[in-house]
Amino acid sequence: MTDAQWATLLQTIKGEVSHPLPVGFIIDCPWLPNWYGTKILDYFSNDELWLQANLKALREFPEALFLPGFWSEYGMCTEPSAFGVRCNFPANEFPHAHKLIRSSDDIDALIVPDPRTDGLLPFVLNRLKLAQPQIEAAGHKIRFAVARGPLNIASYLMGTTEFLTTMMMEPEKAELLLRKITDFLKSWLQLQRETFPSIDGIFMLDDIIGFMGEDEFRTFGLPIFQELYDQDVSVRFLHNDAPCKTCAPFLPEMGVNLFNMGFDITLNELKALTQNRVTLVGNIPPRDVLASQDEAGVIRTTRALLDSLPDKSRVIFSCGGGMPPGVSSANIRAFIRTVQAG
Amino acid sequence: MDPLVEKISRCIERGKVNLASPYPKDLKGQEGADELTRQALAASVGPAPILQACNDGMQRIGAKFGRGEAFVPELLMAAKAMHAVMAQLKPFFQAGTVKPKGQFVLGTVAGDLHDIGKNLVSMVVAGNGWEVIDLGVDVKPAKFLDSIRSHPGCIVGLSALLTTTMGNMAETVHAIKAQFPGTTVLVGGAPLSKEAAEKMGADGYAPDPQGAAAFLDQLRPAA
Repeated sequence: MTDAQWATLLQTIKGEVSHPLPVGFIIDCPWLPNWYGTKILDYFSNDELWLQANLKALREFPEALFLPGFWSEYGMCTEPSAFGVRCNFPANEFPHAHKLIRSSDDIDALIVPDPRTDGLLPFVLNRLKLAQPQIEAAGHKIRFAVARGPLNIASYLMGTTEFLTTMMMEPEKAELLLRKITDFLKSWLQLQRETFPSIDGIFMLDDIIGFMGEDEFRTFGLPIFQELYDQDVSVRFLHNDAPCKTCAPFLPEMGVNLFNMGFDITLNELKALTQNRVTLVGNIPPRDVLASQDEAGVIRTTRALLDSLPDKSRVIFSCGGGMPPGVSSANIRAFIRTVQAG
Repeated sequence: MDPLVEKISRCIERGKVNLASPYPKDLKGQEGADELTRQALAASVGPAPILQACNDGMQRIGAKFGRGEAFVPELLMAAKAMHAVMAQLKPFFQAGTVKPKGQFVLGTVAGDLHDIGKNLVSMVVAGNGWEVIDLGVDVKPAKFLDSIRSHPGCIVGLSALLTTTMGNMAETVHAIKAQFPGTTVLVGGAPLSKEAAEKMGADGYAPDPQGAAAFLDQLRPAA
């Protein structure tokens, strides 16, 4: 993000309404490699391709805030790899992390990883470090420390079904696992901040909180997110594109001031649930509109979204969730044009 | 209703597995579905009312889930309690004393390793009286075909979480329809819509586990 873009983001979070209205997208491996014309595996394994794909997106859509911007990642394998999971990297599909924890007894022996040396994390950081001169030459800075969220990582290590049932049957084991993951995440986020002093935001992605009821969220979600977001940064960004009605009222308490939701809730509903204290990144359907419809359909849906909002403060117009595979440049331009026309 | 059967049904709904389970908190230290089923069978309560109790309990928690009053962990616990009962009813199924509504072959399609959606469907459908043949995750079309061959008359359920694996789901539907045109195929998962399901030639689309159970019951209503 450029200094001007960052300023726009901060102003929006403060509640100021920018003109033109701000547009932003989460872009990463589901969309960027194929949009750039390369395979997902090449995007992961060739740092120059990764950089050029990101730079091309910035050039093509200079009006958009790309969140987090220059996201150095290996899909869902990024953080789980540090714990030692087996990772699959098909040539042109998303990578996948296999389960590591076979029974709750394995949690006791789980080692808290060192983000400086473990799994893919050194590659994540070094890719960014090597690319930093070119990123800055393009007028951008590395703004976010990024990580999958603690419950999301727990689910990858253990399996979602197993983790959620452990939460209910052996809560002390689930808490121990989350303690270890949280300690790891704190050191991982801190290392990113130390490596890139330009970082002034934390971005975490966790859709497992969307599966939980309020009691479980209060016990297993809220305290660790509060701990993780308790950092001296300007932007505390959370992505959860699973159901979010349970966690939404708690977002300010969690420390979150920027939120990307799923497409199945309206911005007005979320404004009410968060008392308009959180800036929202959304909300047109990513797959059924942005990827699947033609320009006219995108314009129609975007127009309807704008018309539905009597209060356009604290909104970064986007899709609900990250940019999905197959979204055309024409549709992105149609979306940006429509939003910016107000 | 027999008081034990009623208690079993309540344990299913509340996800109370057994005496040792600390969940739910207000039933901590009390007997669960496991112990109560044992007692019911010892008291000569037949398997049919116990199975019905499972169905009723799962339907109640499923309905709450559908209304947003219960969440995934609660549904998983209900299913766990139901499994504790089913383990004890297994001999009756094997002896043919009680019969499932039908067979449902279920799997997450090739290239997709996500299991939560599939597992939820499996649990709710099994709780609704169907025999579920769970093929797991990353299931290639050939494995579905083999299973259909081994379970004549079964209905097939395909699950996917990743948008990228929708292509594999369509391929699986086509392969099934090419070899077993009479087999009913139900699809579901986050990247899907009714339109996408129709486009790939599936017979049905379920947006959630209750939808899957309702679709199956519509095909083969309970006797």
